[in-house]
Amino acid sequence: MSVGLDNLKHIVVLMMENRSFDHMLGALMQKNRKINGLTGNESNPDTNGAIVKVQPNAQFQSQLDPDPDHHFPGVDLQLFGGAPQGAGRVANMQGFVKDYFSQTKDVNRSHNIMYYFTPDKLPVLTTLATEFAVFNGWFSSIPGPTICNRAFAHYGTSFGQVGMDIFYILDNTIASIYERMIQAGHTAKIYYYDQPSSTMEIVNLLKNQPQIFATFDQFIGDCSGNTLPDYSFIEPCYNDHPGADGGQVLASDQHPDHNVREGERFIGSVYNAIRTNPTLWQNTALLVVYDEHGGIYDHVVPPACTPDGYTASADATGTGAPFAFDRLGIRVPAVLVSPWIPRGTVVTGPEDPVNGQVFEHASIPGTVTNFFLNGDAKRTVREQQAKSFLGLLTDQMRPDDDCVVFNNLE
Amino acid sequence: MAPKIIEVPKTDAGAYNPNRPAGTLLQSQALHMREALIKHVHELTTLLSIDTKSLKTEADVSAYVHKATALLHTHGGKPAKK
Repeated sequence: MSVGLDNLKHIVVLMMENRSFDHMLGALMQKNRKINGLTGNESNPDTNGAIVKVQPNAQFQSQLDPDPDHHFPGVDLQLFGGAPQGAGRVANMQGFVKDYFSQTKDVNRSHNIMYYFTPDKLPVLTTLATEFAVFNGWFSSIPGPTICNRAFAHYGTSFGQVGMDIFYILDNTIASIYERMIQAGHTAKIYYYDQPSSTMEIVNLLKNQPQIFATFDQFIGDCSGNTLPDYSFIEPCYNDHPGADGGQVLASDQHPDHNVREGERFIGSVYNAIRTNPTLWQNTALLVVYDEHGGIYDHVVPPACTPDGYTASADATGTGAPFAFDRLGIRVPAVLVSPWIPRGTVVTGPEDPVNGQVFEHASIPGTVTNFFLNGDAKRTVREQQAKSFLGLLTDQMRPDDDCVVFNNLE
Repeated sequence: MAPKIIEVPKTDAGAYNPNRPAGTLLQSQALHMREALIKHVHELTTLLSIDTKSLKTEADVSAYVHKATALLHTHGGKPAKK
């Protein structure tokens, strides 16, 4: 075990919404060839048959409205380019523009799905990715929408769901990571932004386990007061709403069409809350990850994975074929932050057949359970086999002046 | 030497739009909240249907108070701190 791991006391996970790896971090390949991003030549055909290349034209807002499709049938089209169901078909990532046309009904506008951000527009996420560790191979757990994907972060499974249904009513055989931690005498908390935003999908826990919830203000207080739990999961603000003081509270989740820059500021706030407490900084690992790609282009074909023992019916998938949870969803941005991680760490993915590692959201409860509970919990085979992300912490802690601080976040 | 400072730009002034139509994610969130409320009301109704005069033993009272406290506690205005 490394010295960094010996010192680790807190794991914090911030899960953002609906952006693909290439859309947010793909341009970083121009600075570091080890980052599996965009060459500029990646393309998709549009509905007229024209070739649409990726373009560095992503804007903070108003460009992905209507919301790109990211439900199971839509993602199937994005992955397989419209090839009919059957054993022989191969994912080619050629259906993103065609699928977005089904929302926009406008050929030119459908090209927006190929736009990506330049690093100067995302100073927080790209700085963290280049200053600490970025994962080339972190995939959403299911080629589908938010609810089933977030379920993997909480439970290591979606209990067979591939959509937006309420999964926990059907099956409660696997405890959430928060319940596992508390039952074992550890501390865990879900910090939602505020009550008008609240938590997403796990209202069963909100009702039955209110003690594990707190607001983002309390996260800030827990960081400064050295009262952070062993494991924290942070939810961004999911909607625009009036604040308690009559001001404006903006959605910070980066879900289209919410403002991406506001999400940048939120990520920076989470980082600074940990970074500016010297005690917390040296014994905390922060993972920033996105729940799914939101229908936005990524060039990496998702790999196969260990099934989790469930099968979604053909009716449930909406594609005419069942789904055995045996392949992952589309790749998302993921960054691990700790002073025990060397600058510029790139965790290679499927592009590196020798040393590459594949991560997905089951890696989150898997890592937390392995680290705090020695793996002692009832969980799916999928979660048991998910890669742990703490092996990146080394024996060498970087000096304080070697780690960035974000400014202008008030 | 001081750490490197990264300036983070402010969000555009016109970003706020509470009148934006709620997407499928937010609609799902509301539905899930409603389902939880239904279960909550069901438990409350069950508890209110018990005549407290029928609680004869300390165990009877304790079981009732336990359930009532759990329900009332979840009605707190703010989530509890650790």
